[in-house]
Amino acid sequence: MKRLVLFLLGASAAAVAAQDGGQLYALNCSACHGNDGKGATGGAFPPLANSPWVTGDPALPVKIVLHGLEGVVEVAGKTYNLAMPPHGAVLGDAEVAAVLSFVRSSWGNSAAVITSEQVKEVRAQSAERKQPWTGPELLKDHPLKIEASALSKLTSRAYFGEFQQIPDFSTAKQENIEEENDGLISASHGLRPANFAVLWEAEFNAPADGEYTFKLDSDDLSRVSIKGTMVAEILEIGPMGRAKEGKITLAKGAHPIRIEFVQGGGDMGISLGWKGPGVENWKWLSDQSGRGAKPWPNIPVQPLGSQLAIYRNFIGGTTPRAIGIGFPTGVNLAWSADNFAPELVWHGLFMDGGRHWTDRGTGDEPPAGQDVARLSNAPAFAALAETTSRWPEKPQLTTRFRGYKLGAASDLTFSLESGGCRLLDHYAADGAKTLVRTLRSDAAAAEPLAVLLVRGKAVTAAGNGTYEVEGGLTLTLKAGTKVRLLEDGSLTATLEGKAPIEIRYSWR
Amino acid sequence: MRALSTLASAALLATLSHAAEQADYYKREEIPLPPGEVMEIGSIALLPERKVAVTTRRGDLWICSGAYDEDLTKVSWTKFAYGLHEPLGMFWRDGSLWLTQRPEVSRLTDSNKDGKADTFETVSAGWGIRGDYHEYAFGSEPDANGDIWVVLCLTGSFTAESDWRGWCVRVTPKGEMIPTCSGIRSPGGIGFNATGETFYTDNQGPWNGSSSLKWLKPGSFQGNPSANKFHKLGKDLPAPPEVADKSRIVSERVKHASFIPPAVVFPHGRIGQSPTGIAVDKTGGKFGPWDAQLYVGEQTHSQVQRVCLEQVNGIYQGAVFHFLEGFEAGIIPVRLDQKEGVLFVGGSNRGWGSRGSKSFTFERVSPTGKVPFEINTMKANKDGFTLAFTEALDPISAANPASYDMAAWTYILQSDYGSPEVDQATPKVTAAKVAADGKSVRLTVEGLVKGHVHQLSAKGVKSAAGNPLWHPEAFYTLNEIPN
Repeated sequence: MKRLVLFLLGASAAAVAAQDGGQLYALNCSACHGNDGKGATGGAFPPLANSPWVTGDPALPVKIVLHGLEGVVEVAGKTYNLAMPPHGAVLGDAEVAAVLSFVRSSWGNSAAVITSEQVKEVRAQSAERKQPWTGPELLKDHPLKIEASALSKLTSRAYFGEFQQIPDFSTAKQENIEEENDGLISASHGLRPANFAVLWEAEFNAPADGEYTFKLDSDDLSRVSIKGTMVAEILEIGPMGRAKEGKITLAKGAHPIRIEFVQGGGDMGISLGWKGPGVENWKWLSDQSGRGAKPWPNIPVQPLGSQLAIYRNFIGGTTPRAIGIGFPTGVNLAWSADNFAPELVWHGLFMDGGRHWTDRGTGDEPPAGQDVARLSNAPAFAALAETTSRWPEKPQLTTRFRGYKLGAASDLTFSLESGGCRLLDHYAADGAKTLVRTLRSDAAAAEPLAVLLVRGKAVTAAGNGTYEVEGGLTLTLKAGTKVRLLEDGSLTATLEGKAPIEIRYSWR
Repeated sequence: MRALSTLASAALLATLSHAAEQADYYKREEIPLPPGEVMEIGSIALLPERKVAVTTRRGDLWICSGAYDEDLTKVSWTKFAYGLHEPLGMFWRDGSLWLTQRPEVSRLTDSNKDGKADTFETVSAGWGIRGDYHEYAFGSEPDANGDIWVVLCLTGSFTAESDWRGWCVRVTPKGEMIPTCSGIRSPGGIGFNATGETFYTDNQGPWNGSSSLKWLKPGSFQGNPSANKFHKLGKDLPAPPEVADKSRIVSERVKHASFIPPAVVFPHGRIGQSPTGIAVDKTGGKFGPWDAQLYVGEQTHSQVQRVCLEQVNGIYQGAVFHFLEGFEAGIIPVRLDQKEGVLFVGGSNRGWGSRGSKSFTFERVSPTGKVPFEINTMKANKDGFTLAFTEALDPISAANPASYDMAAWTYILQSDYGSPEVDQATPKVTAAKVAADGKSVRLTVEGLVKGHVHQLSAKGVKSAAGNPLWHPEAFYTLNEIPN
């Protein structure tokens, strides 16, 4: 009888906690994680339903609630790049316990309740934590419980050597064979030389009849085949981030699967995921998940017809105030409004907006095209006297960015104030491989201005006003332009009077 | 099963009848957006000829025609500019659109009159950015001097890694930048009250126990000391106060005269949890009887709240009321057309979740002409509050002190993220006297607490017609008790 009373008391206390937890969840969590625990806005935010992040080691969700979490995480096969604010200063131990107990027992989750004492202990252990956690930090101490792989009877066979393509494994010399009881393929498992190939064979256990999608990514070559049918393959040497998908219809039950892999030196990796009937998010058959791939889609930003493309967000390799300009012919530049110069020039694709236009849009995005040359990294205007031997890190001269104007002929002019003059820095494309820049002053300055063209790069004078920089890029200045190569390697030109400086940036 | 379906239909009915209630007073309509475009709206400007401009977080600027028309299916859109850096402030002046973009205040002009901006003039780029996504800049419309007020979010919303983060600056039409207030954390919007004073919203986090509407009195400190160091960048700017961690605003204010307390605290979760854009009502009644009040957008709860302000002992304070809800995404900008009495709202929930489940939205709200029974204003007295209502009161319920409940609390002023509600008190309504006009009540309250949020629930009050209040709750921040 006594035990029964205790049990009932315990149950009602748990019921009360669950109720409070539900209210706390609605108030603090549901806007992002959804009333149904599936992640708000159709899964734009991480789900908590069936998430190993909340149903495993209690310390993991407690730490996240107390101190917050930011950056890239993967939940149930999908990556997110968001920030969750800390709640430890707002919610007491009992409230954290209640809300997490609610989460751990809702929407199909059935993990044990978390007690106030457990929260108190984690809070004390992590008292020094001032910043939100990152996913990798947390997973190091609290690895997620990995779901059983859909692969069984997995064996790996290793073959050493420099393979230029996926070999005929029936004739190659096998070095060893292993049984992989965790059902996960791994590029880094076992001691292997810099160049090798692996053949994995297993049974893929399809949970239901239907169409299955496989997503394969590798550094370097790989191929996956099921029942003797090739589903996806990557046939060129290269890094992770080139995932290929393929579909195959399977009946419920076990099917022979064959995964081939070649490592060609340097970085290596392989990931293989699948989706199928009733399985909406990727499930992984590899120790690496799709994490290596970027967690946002490609959103190409390109010129439209004769209209220039313009990209104002953080461009990798230049400064935060850089303005990306893409010309319809396929030449591009990133003009730094902090340093008043075309700091990056490249050709081919312009930019990919995916990083900045997904989730909160963190970090710098490098140019999408080819032969990106970083020309300079300091304010580009200085008094001549400041630049006799080296380009100064911070010139004395005050220069201000005043905006830009779009021209009628797919051209654009940046506007500056420097040394009491208005400077106009004009850009147009001449075909697919040449950018033409014309820099002039609208009034004759009292003193000539030194203009930085290239800094921190090896510059070779090739004669006739042409200078070779890198990646096949040359700068050509009109005859008569005063050009100097300083002791620190900086290439500069001198702007005098109202005479323009014309510079052609060309790739071979 | 039967019981369950009855329950479900009862719940459905409850939902429907509640939704119908807002529709009785205000018509909320989605304005169709250009097909296929991602229109995560960050700012709205009203243009001549009943055109409305919006900017998107991706950096486009579109102009809408027909946004005032009865038939919204006929709206048309033209793209005026692109390649902008996340603008969060815009207005029309002198034939140009003036934008507050992340790195600068800019003036966009269509100088060749082809319907597209060609001249992008940088008016001021006087503040720092370092590539941190959270370094947002929200800009106002011009004030009486023509200046644009810009509030600059902290780096990552925590620290001050670039010049003038955590400060409010004014940008003159000629491009001079005047540092004006310190102590800012993470703004969501900026605007003016009816007398032209500037207010902004700041979000719960370090040194903000809860979100609030704050008064940008020039020279003031707003509570977050993370960016105090930047006073050294200015000319003869005094050092902002180093407020004590784990203290209270009411006690720190005594030590530091420049510390202006939040005018109206929006208790976290009870009335939104991430306030955004601000619009003042100078419609003269065209949007309802809320003359000189402020409407404040709300990201997470997809709402618009209503605020009445008053000045007591030189400090702004007042009450926030629930007002409009059910918007389709998180609300960022709000713009009220003062002549037409039409409220435009826009928003996005990329990166920050919201009750409204669409990725982005553009909506308008217009009054139906039927005025809800509401507490119109709540003003502080030495010994309580005076409530003015929108309709004649039932004198019996309105004069019964038991019709009113009060609670009061405050928040810890601390470097930790947010604060629980603390120092709870229970002010007691001891008398309720209905005024001669039959539309207002003077409450005598025992136990007012200076500095506390005072929650009023007037659930027992009925109108002369016998109806309860649409929104019986108010949250009044009692920074000062009148003498």
